[in-house]
Amino acid sequence: MKKMNETQLKELEQDLDTIRDQVIADLGERDARYIRRIVRLHRSLEVGGRVLMPFGFIPPVFIAATAALGISKIIENMEIGHNVMHGQYDWMNDTSLHSQTYEWDTVCTGDSWRRTHNYEHHTYTNIIGKDRDYGYALLRLSDDDKWKPAHSLQFINYVLLSVFFQWGVGLHELESERIRRREISVREKIPFLKDFFRKGGRQAFKDYVFFPLVTFPVAPVVLAGNVGANLIRNLWSSTVIFCGHFTQDAETFSEEECEGESKGHWYLRQLTGSSNFTGGKWMHVMSGHLSYQVEHHIFPDLPAHRYPEISEQVQAVCKKHGIPYNTGTFARQYSTVLKRVLGYSLPDRMRNRMLPEFSSAGAQS
Amino acid sequence: MISVLENSPTLHWLGRQLFNRDDPAAFFDPLLERINPMWVQQYTPAMVTAIYNETADTKTFVLAPAKRWLGFEAGQHVSIGIDIDGIRRNRTFSLSSSPIRWRTDGTVTLTIKRLPGGLVTNWMHDHLETDTVIGLGDAFGDFRIPSPQEPVLYIAGGSGITPVLSQLETMAASDYRAPVTLLYFVRTQADVIAAEKLHALTGRWSAFTLKVYATSETETPQFLSDQHLDEVPGLAGRRCYLCGPKGLMDLANDLLYRRGISEDRIHSTFFSVPAANLDSGTLGGAVHFERSNLDVSSEGDAVLLEIAEAAKLSPRHGCRMGICHQCSCRKTSGTVVNRLTGKASGPGEETIQLCVSVPSGPVSIDI
Repeated sequence: MKKMNETQLKELEQDLDTIRDQVIADLGERDARYIRRIVRLHRSLEVGGRVLMPFGFIPPVFIAATAALGISKIIENMEIGHNVMHGQYDWMNDTSLHSQTYEWDTVCTGDSWRRTHNYEHHTYTNIIGKDRDYGYALLRLSDDDKWKPAHSLQFINYVLLSVFFQWGVGLHELESERIRRREISVREKIPFLKDFFRKGGRQAFKDYVFFPLVTFPVAPVVLAGNVGANLIRNLWSSTVIFCGHFTQDAETFSEEECEGESKGHWYLRQLTGSSNFTGGKWMHVMSGHLSYQVEHHIFPDLPAHRYPEISEQVQAVCKKHGIPYNTGTFARQYSTVLKRVLGYSLPDRMRNRMLPEFSSAGAQS
Repeated sequence: MISVLENSPTLHWLGRQLFNRDDPAAFFDPLLERINPMWVQQYTPAMVTAIYNETADTKTFVLAPAKRWLGFEAGQHVSIGIDIDGIRRNRTFSLSSSPIRWRTDGTVTLTIKRLPGGLVTNWMHDHLETDTVIGLGDAFGDFRIPSPQEPVLYIAGGSGITPVLSQLETMAASDYRAPVTLLYFVRTQADVIAAEKLHALTGRWSAFTLKVYATSETETPQFLSDQHLDEVPGLAGRRCYLCGPKGLMDLANDLLYRRGISEDRIHSTFFSVPAANLDSGTLGGAVHFERSNLDVSSEGDAVLLEIAEAAKLSPRHGCRMGICHQCSCRKTSGTVVNRLTGKASGPGEETIQLCVSVPSGPVSIDI
C-alpha cells in the first residue's frame, strides 16, 4: 500500500468526505425514481419469466423465459438487494427498501449477509486473516497463505464456487475452515444453520418444487429453466464479485499495518484494495454498479447509481494523492482474476517463473 | 383481490416463501400502482377527492380510502404517509368528519392548518392536488364520545377543533339529548374553522350550545377563565374534552381540577408527544449502535431515534410519537426510559421503540 503520513491521510479523508457530502445533500426525488424504476423492471422480468416458463417447450420461449428470470434475479440481487441492504435507500423511509428489513432472492439470509458482508468485509477489506471474503477461505490468492499441494486443484474449487455461488455465500458464516481447525464447534453455529436451512429450503422450494409442480405437465421444462436462471445469476454475480478485489493490481493488507488505523487510512485501503471495470450502462446496472467497486468501497451507503457521476471526482482525488485507480475493460480485469486463481495454485517458484506479475516483487509491494 | 393473500394464513405463508417478505401481496405494488394506484397493498391508499379552504391557513382534504380500510370512531386520529422529495413522511392528524359520512359515501376528511416551518402541512397546502393517492393508517386513539349519554363540555382551541367536529356531527346525527357545550377559542373570528357547519349544528340540534371566543380581537388577550366556566350550566356533572394548544389545555386542566372535576372525567388529545415528567438526573449515557459499530453520548434530552439520526443513521420509523411501532428494534443491553409513560425498561435484551425511548445509562441498540 502506498505510504502516506497522517497529514496526507487527513487531507485524503477531507477530499473524499467533500464528495460524499455533496451527494448526500443532493439526495431526493431523482434517486427515489431511479430505484423504483429498477424495482419495476425486476418485477416485470420476474413475472414475465415465470409466466413464459411453462411454454418453454418451444425452444426460443425457453431461452427468453430463462434469460428473463436469470436477469431478474441478477438485478434483484445486485442492484436492488445488495444496495438496499447497504442502507443506500434508508433515507427514503420506505419499509420495502430499508436495509434492516430487506430480504433478497438468494440463499444467504439478509441478516447473515449484513454481518459477514456489510460489517466484516466492508470494515476489514482485503486484510488477510480478517476479511474472509478474500478467497472465501477456499482459495489461495496471495502469498499470505503458504502453498500446499491441495492448492494445485483450486481452479476446480473456483469453478464449483461460481456454479453454486448462492449456496457458498449462504454458508459463508458457517466458518467451516475454523470448525475444521477446531477453533469453534458446530454447536455454536446451530442458530446460523437453522436460518440457513430455512432460507435455503425456501429458495429451493420456490424454484425447484413449487413452480414446477403448479405447471405439472411441463414440470421438467420449468425445473430446467429455473435451474438455468439460478446458474446464470450465480456465474455472473461471482464473476463480478471476483473482479472487485482479486484483479492483478488489487492489494492485500496485513493486520499489523491496519491496527488502529485512521479514517484516512481506511479510505486509502478501500481505494487500493478494490478494482473497477468499464462497460456500457446495462453492464453497470447488471453488476449493481459493482463495476464501480472503488467508489462502492469508499461510499458503500451512497445510492450506487451515483457512482458513475462521482467517478471522475474520485479519480481526481486519487491523482492528486498519487494513489492508483484500478480500472480496465471487463475482459482485461477478469483475465487477471483467472491468472491470479491459477497462479496461486502453483508453488511459489513456479508462479514466479510463469506469472512474474504476481511475484511478491510485483503487485504486492 | 390481492388482499386475499394477506387474509388466508396458508396463502400468506406461501406468499412469504415465494417473495421473501412479510407483506407478499406488496411484491406486485410496483406493477399495480402503474395500473391503478388504489391497488397498492403495502399501505392503505386513499385518494384525495376534494380540497377546500376553511380559513386563510386551514384546508380540509376529502379522502376516499381503499375499501379495506377499517374505519374509525369519532374523535380518533390517523397517520398518513406522503412522499415528499423521495422521502416518505408520516404524520398524525385527527379525522374531522363523522364515521356516518364514511359509511354512507366512503369518504373521510382531514382539516389541517399550516404550521410555521411545518414540512408536511405546508407541502399539503401548497402541492397536494385532487386525484393524488396518499397512504392512510388504521385509526387509533381513545378520545371517544361517552356511552351511555352524559352532559359534555368541549374546550377547543384553533385547529384543535377537528376531532370535536367529528364528535359533534356524530352526536347530532344520533340525536344526542344530554346537553353539549363547546367553548371554542380562536385568535380572531376569521380563524373559526368550519364556522358554517358549527352554526348549522346549533340550528338543528337543540342540546348543543356554541360559544366562540376570539382571544386577540380586544386589547387585552381573552384567555379561558373561571368566568367562561361559570356560564356552563351543570359543569360539575359534565364529561370534559380538551383539545388545542398546550397552554390552553394546561389552563383548562388546572381550572377544572380546582372545581373538583376528577381526572378520569377529563379527556385530552395531543398533537405531539407529551413528555412524561422524567427525572433528568438519571437520564443520558453512552449509546452503542451495534450493527453500525458507532458510539455516541447522550445527554438525556433526546430520544434514541433523534440520537441515531444525529449520528447519520437512518433507522426505519413512522409516527415519531410511539404509536405505530415502525421503529421498534432490539435493545441488547442497558436501560431506557419511555418518554410517554415515564417507565424504565429492564436492563436486558428486549424490543423498544426508538422514537419514545431515552437512554438511562449506557445502552446498546441493534441497528
